[in-house]
Amino acid sequence: MKIVSFANQKGGVGKTTTAVTLAHGLALAGRRVLLVDMDSQGHVALSLGLPKSPGLFGLICEKRDLSSLVVGARDNLDVLPSDKHTAAVQNEFAKSPSGSVRFLEAITGGGYDVVLLDMAPSLDSLHASGLLSSNWVVIPTRMDSLSVDGLQEVIRSMGEFSRRGHSLEGYCILPTFFDRTTRETYLQFQGLIQTFGGHLWPPIPQDTRVREAPAYGRTLWEYAPACLAMKGLPEDRRRIGGYRQILTKFMEVLDA
Amino acid sequence: MPKSNLPRRDSIDPEVSALLKEMEQRQVDAQMPRREREKKARERQKIADRRERRATYDLPPHIRNQISDLSTRLSIPASQLVTLALIRFLESFNAGGLDLGPLKTPSRSPRYDWNLVIPDLQTDDQKRNKKRSRSLPVEKVVN
Repeated sequence: MKIVSFANQKGGVGKTTTAVTLAHGLALAGRRVLLVDMDSQGHVALSLGLPKSPGLFGLICEKRDLSSLVVGARDNLDVLPSDKHTAAVQNEFAKSPSGSVRFLEAITGGGYDVVLLDMAPSLDSLHASGLLSSNWVVIPTRMDSLSVDGLQEVIRSMGEFSRRGHSLEGYCILPTFFDRTTRETYLQFQGLIQTFGGHLWPPIPQDTRVREAPAYGRTLWEYAPACLAMKGLPEDRRRIGGYRQILTKFMEVLDA
Repeated sequence: MPKSNLPRRDSIDPEVSALLKEMEQRQVDAQMPRREREKKARERQKIADRRERRATYDLPPHIRNQISDLSTRLSIPASQLVTLALIRFLESFNAGGLDLGPLKTPSRSPRYDWNLVIPDLQTDDQKRNKKRSRSLPVEKVVN
């Protein structure tokens, strides 16, 4: 069982979309998946056509069982949702380490093949607990300087945890909202390659379908399985990036 | 001393690398005057379109030379002559009119089971001479 968090200190970079799309892709591939919404905005539930609810709050603050709080979103895909009550979970985690321990015990004991944590755009105690619980981190980022700064903050946090003895198995940087025609995208992309080398994964192209899908409560696998963001950028006779290719790479990571 | 024959590992994802190359080309193109940029784009498109139609095979040099000579003599592109020849071959083969059996010899390649012993190409004159020599008594041929 592996725990993977989706993190970037900057908001609006595609963390939730990426977490939801990969979670459903894994579920469709037959993996038993738990997707935990660590963000008080509760957008994981909305993206899957479910109501927001205080699932994470119930687990940590009310000490209820995970099984009574998870919602079956799709076949093989359960969700531990969030809402505004999740703010109280941050206080619980900050007060004592028992909250973090309880969280880790609960998600590892649920019988899932993989647990995905959709993190909030912050560096609070909830975020730290999520990173510390994870084996792997996916850092989605737009190709702009503010988002790249957000990803560097996450990398710094990971370095800090590493110095304290927590070692991650690995991480990847996933360019999102990728528009290859602009000079800014090119410069940021080039900079990321030079800095992060093989940690940089092929990008998710900019695609309006990605913005539309949550409005229908559908994942991209249901709403637009053949859209650009799923299939990747056309390049000669092949495709580069896109969630389908990223899912394949992601499954290789999980199976490693 | 480090071993120089060790394969160097590429640390960048090959897809990322390919995309960067393409984006670099776009940046170079963006610096060109519009007319030159459009010309370059047309050339690249032409090359990309041809890629679908291209194939590389090993041919005996004398066949290649003869196709080239024929192309010059008839003023027809060599690719079209070869295409026609292959169509004729496939028609004949599919109709059962061509038996490869007598030409097959076992191959030691791990990829293929057989090699073909390619017969010499004979011109019409050579064929006529051969036929005539077969029909003539042996002593006459010797003489």
